[in-house]
Amino acid sequence: MSFTSVDFLEIDALLSEEELLSRKSVRDFVEAEINPLIAECYEEGKFPDHLIPQLGELGVLGANLPEEYGCAGLNNVAYGLIMQELEACDSGIRSFASVQGALCMYPIYAFGNEEQRRKYLKEMAAGRLIGCFGLTEPNFGSNPADMLTKADRVTGGFILNGAKAWITNGSIADVAIVWAKLDGEIRGFLVDKDTRGFSTRLTKHKLSLRASITSELLFEDCLIPEENLLEKSNGLKSPLMCLTQARYGIAWGALGAAMSCYDTALRYSQQRVQFGRPIGGFQLTQEKLVKMVTGISKAQLLCLHLGRKKDTGNLKPVQVSMAKMNNVAMALEVARTSRSILGANGITGEYPIMRHMANLESVYTYEGTHEIHTLIIGQSITGQSAFG
Amino acid sequence: MPVNIIVCVKQILDPEIPSRDFRVDAEQREAVRGAANLVTNIFCENALETALQLKEKSGGKITVISYGADSTEDALRKALAMKADAAIHILNDGQAHPDPLSVAQVLAAAIRKLGEFDVVMLGRESGDWGVGQTAGLLAEELGVAAVAFVDKVEIGADGLQLKRQTDVGYERVAATMPLVISITNDEHNVPRIPKTRDVMMSFRQPLTKWTLEDLGVNAAEVRAGNHYYAVVDLFIPVQELNCEFVDGDTLEARVEKFAQRIIEVTGSM
Repeated sequence: MSFTSVDFLEIDALLSEEELLSRKSVRDFVEAEINPLIAECYEEGKFPDHLIPQLGELGVLGANLPEEYGCAGLNNVAYGLIMQELEACDSGIRSFASVQGALCMYPIYAFGNEEQRRKYLKEMAAGRLIGCFGLTEPNFGSNPADMLTKADRVTGGFILNGAKAWITNGSIADVAIVWAKLDGEIRGFLVDKDTRGFSTRLTKHKLSLRASITSELLFEDCLIPEENLLEKSNGLKSPLMCLTQARYGIAWGALGAAMSCYDTALRYSQQRVQFGRPIGGFQLTQEKLVKMVTGISKAQLLCLHLGRKKDTGNLKPVQVSMAKMNNVAMALEVARTSRSILGANGITGEYPIMRHMANLESVYTYEGTHEIHTLIIGQSITGQSAFG
Repeated sequence: MPVNIIVCVKQILDPEIPSRDFRVDAEQREAVRGAANLVTNIFCENALETALQLKEKSGGKITVISYGADSTEDALRKALAMKADAAIHILNDGQAHPDPLSVAQVLAAAIRKLGEFDVVMLGRESGDWGVGQTAGLLAEELGVAAVAFVDKVEIGADGLQLKRQTDVGYERVAATMPLVISITNDEHNVPRIPKTRDVMMSFRQPLTKWTLEDLGVNAAEVRAGNHYYAVVDLFIPVQELNCEFVDGDTLEARVEKFAQRIIEVTGSM
C-alpha cells in the first residue's frame, strides 16, 4: 500500500500547487522505482546507482539551484518536500541527493567561478557526474577546524595530502569537493577522480545506511591544477555554509522517515487484532500513536517555517541546527516507538521501520551531531561557547 | 504528419484513499470529500499519455480541456507539466456533477471554438461515477466517429491505426480523422511522472479560461444539468464475512458437503 504523508494539522493547505505537485512527482517516482527494491538493496548493502540518471531527469539533484545551470530552480519548500519523499523511502537515497545537491553542487555554485559552474553543474544536475564532499577526517569529526589535510602551493597548482573519512558517494564520485588547509586557511578544491595519488576505500560492514556508499578518500601528493580551487571559499565558514544547506534538507528528510514509520505503525495498529480487538483500540497504543503524530506535526511546522524563511533569505544557521537536532531525534523516537507497536514483525525487512531506525542512528550524528547542534543553539542563546 | 490532438480531462476525488476514510452523504447523494485530495482521473491521464506518445512520433500539438470547478486548474497544470502544449479551463459554476450529455455539449462547444482538430482523446470513464458516456456523446455532438476502449494509437496510411480492447480480445481499427477516441489503460500508456522542473514551468505557462457564456451554449440549461438521469440512492455496501469450516470423515465427504453449502448459500452452482 502506498505511503500516506501525515497532515494532521492540515499543513498541505499552506503549500502551493507547485509544491504539492513536486512532492507528488517524487512520491510517484519513489513508489514506482525505488520502493520495490530498497529492502533488498539494504540487505545486500548496495546503493541502487542505476537510478541516478532517472533521479537527475526527475530534477531532484540540486533542485533549488537556478535553471540556467540545468537545475529545477524550485523554491526551498518544494526542495524540502523532495527530501522528505526520498527519505520516506530510505535515508541512503536522500543522503545521495543531499550530498550531490547541497554539499557538492551548492559549493560549486556558491564558491566556484563561472567556468567551474558551467563545467560541473549541468552534468551533476543530470546525474551524469557524481560528487562527494570531503570535510570529516578520521580524527576530526565535530572539530573540523583542526583538520590535517593540507594543500601546498606549487607551480601551476597545489599538492594535496591527507585523508577524509565517512564520505557518502566517495567510491562512485567523479569529483570530490575536498576541504584542505592552504597557508593555514581552509579552502575548497575540486579533485577529479582520475587525479594521480587520489584513491578511495569503501567503508564496509556498516549496520546503518546500508543502501548508501560510504568511503574513505586518500590523497598522496595529488597535483591539483590551479583552476580547481574554489576561489571564493574562505575559511571554515565555507564548508559550514554547505552543511547548513544539507542540514536543512536533513530536517525535512527526517520527517519523511518518521512519517513512513508512523504510517506503517498506524495501519498495523488498525489491522493487528489481540484480545479480540485491533491494538489501535488500546490506550497504551493510542498514546504512542498520539505522541508520534504530535511530534511529526510540530516538526512539519518547523520545517515549513524555515523553508519560507530560507526563500526570503533570512534563515539563520542556528535555526537550521534546531530543526536538524529536533527532527532527527523525533524521527528516531518515532522509529523506536513504531517498532514497539509492530512487536516482532517490526524487526523484519517486511516493514521499513527497522531500516529507518538503523539509518537514523547515522543521521543523528552526521552533519553535526545532536550534541554539537545543542551547543550551537546553547551558544546562541547564552552567548557562551561550550565547545571545548 | 503532425496531429492536432485535444485531450479532455476530469478532476475527481482521489479514488485511492483508504476505504475506511471513504464516506458518502446519503442525502446529497454525493461522496464526502473529507481529507481526500483532488486528482486527475487516471483514464484521462492514460489518454494524455497516449496523446503525448503520438505527438512524440508524429509531431503536432496537444491541447488539454477540462470542464470543472476552480480547483480544476491544478489538473490542467499537471497536464502542462507532463508536456501538453496548451490548456483550457471551462469554469463549471453549476452542478457539482453534471450529466455526461451536458459535459459533452460544453466540451463540443469549446472544441468548435478552438477550430480544427484531428483527434479528441478522453478517458474511457471517470474513477468517481464511472458512467463512461462522455466520449460517445461528444462524438455525436461533434458529428464525427467514435472508437471506444482504445489502448494504442498509431499513425496509419489514411489516418490512425487503433488497437481497442473488447470482451474477447483485441480489435484493430483503421480510422480516418477527425474522430473521438476513448482510451483505456494498458502497459503502453502508464502516465509519465512530470519532472520537477516541468512542474515549475507549468505554473508560468498561460492557461486559457472560458465561461459557459464564452462558448455560446445554453448556460442556464447546462447549469441546471441532469436532464435524463438521477442518482436515486448512494450507499456503501455492507460487506459481511462469515468463515465456516466444513468437516467430514473423508476428503470426498468434505468436498460433497462443501459443494452443498455453496449451492445453499448462493442458490446455484
